[in-house]
Amino acid sequence: MSNQDITLKVEDLHKSYGSNKVLKGVSFEIRKGEIKIICGPSGTGKSTLLRCLNLLTPPDRGHVWLEGEEITDAGTDIHKVRQKIGFVFQEFNLFKHLTALRNVSIGLEVVKGIKKDEAREIALEQLRKVGLEEHAHKYPGELSGGQKQRVAIARALAMNPVIMFYDEPTSALDPQLIGEVLDVMKKLAKEKITSLVVTHEIGFARSVGDEIMFMTDGRIIERGPPDEVILNPKHEVTRNFFRNITRLYERSEQ
Amino acid sequence: MIWKYPLLLRYLLYIAEGSVWTFGLVGGGLLIGFLIGLSIAVGQVYTKTAKPFLDAYVWFFRSTPLLVLLFLFYWGVFPALGRKLSPLACSIVVLGLRSGAYQSQIFRGAIMSVGESQLMAALALGMSEIKGVLHIVLPQALRISLPGWSNEYAILLKDSAICFALGVIEILTRTRFVVMAAREALIPYFFAGVLFLVLTHVGTKLVQIVYERTKIPGLIWRM
Ligand SMILES: Nc1ncnc2c1ncn2[C@@H]1O[C@H](COP(=O)(O)OP(=O)(O)OP(=O)(O)O)[C@@H](O)[C@H]1O
Ligand SMILES: [Mg+2]
Repeated sequence: MSNQDITLKVEDLHKSYGSNKVLKGVSFEIRKGEIKIICGPSGTGKSTLLRCLNLLTPPDRGHVWLEGEEITDAGTDIHKVRQKIGFVFQEFNLFKHLTALRNVSIGLEVVKGIKKDEAREIALEQLRKVGLEEHAHKYPGELSGGQKQRVAIARALAMNPVIMFYDEPTSALDPQLIGEVLDVMKKLAKEKITSLVVTHEIGFARSVGDEIMFMTDGRIIERGPPDEVILNPKHEVTRNFFRNITRLYERSEQ
Repeated sequence: MIWKYPLLLRYLLYIAEGSVWTFGLVGGGLLIGFLIGLSIAVGQVYTKTAKPFLDAYVWFFRSTPLLVLLFLFYWGVFPALGRKLSPLACSIVVLGLRSGAYQSQIFRGAIMSVGESQLMAALALGMSEIKGVLHIVLPQALRISLPGWSNEYAILLKDSAICFALGVIEILTRTRFVVMAAREALIPYFFAGVLFLVLTHVGTKLVQIVYERTKIPGLIWRM
């Protein structure tokens, strides 16, 4: 395996907020085309990890390489780095004063300097991909939660990132809207779009995930193929966690 | 009442002409105040180092009576800087400096009510902080500010009358001339009052129209 194929490499990442040690040495790597899932209890530092990786929050210690380039170097152009990472937030964070189309095209225009017409074409193409072409003229306030999240995915994809980050993309959604978002994400996974996904949707994890990393208390304590980690975990914490999740999952299926 | 109608009409027209000066005061004050207020608000929300100074500015201009500010700048500050301004120019500057302090609080509240999450999304796309604020936060914050801003217009309009103290020949100054010349107070002052009322109403109505026009479908602003 050559270095060229490693999209993201994380080594011994630490982050504290005051005396609260949130990340206590996280290491992993993601190869091109891989889908990695992060699971773990609330407050474990999953969101903090994603935000450190695209430098929305500066990490305290450790190294991160994106496509072989160390982005934790002092001289890094953080705006360039963030352009290469598509970020999908739990609460969508759509721009409320812009239509779905403009939400997707504004990054192209303002960040990449692409001409308005061309940006519009790219944006329409991305909206088509998430099945929202006919809603392009609508404002976020006129869309359902599932549609909003799909616009957010299109917005991130339009920048043509080398990796997508998803931070619990379905946990703010009503149960009946989760499916449409997961379907889009599965489609992208089939297209081999490298992704790091924080989610508790074990169905999704098992069907498209290459690996699950189970995080608790600022560390990844267990990792492996999804079926193995979910069905046959080594740690007590992991077992309890997935047992509870599975129970909830089955209840909502009924 | 021993007024001849043509004379009365001429007097009232003379008062009404003062609207031009009043408009100059209010328009100039609002514009300067807008630029100052917006800059202060952005500084207060997004910077740590500048904030204490901006807070002090706002505190000073909000807690000093306008009349004191006018005299202070006209007789004190500008002469001390070796630049004596005309009463009109000085009044506009003072109204603007003061309105900036008030407007900053309108904009600050609006910026905070837009929230951080959209800016975070803008940064995640690769926008710089400045671009994110410019393209994402401010367009929304300015719309949210409109009602408060039309209030500021109404207040500034009325405050501008105090500039008669420096001899700016705006509505109130002219009304006082007329009262002295005609030895009649009721009609001129009443007319001046109506004039302010009309100006207030027209201005706030205009802002309201802009507010309605820029409404975003499906979005309810929380203030
Ligand atoms: N900006 C911040 N300032 C201070 N503390 C923070 C900040 N962001 C997160 N924390 C703290 O860091 C810890 C981890 O938070 P984080 O949001 O990363 O957890 P999480 O694993 O994403 O949880 P959840 O599943 O609830 O989203 C928590 O104790 C939280 O209070
Ligand atoms: Mg989180």
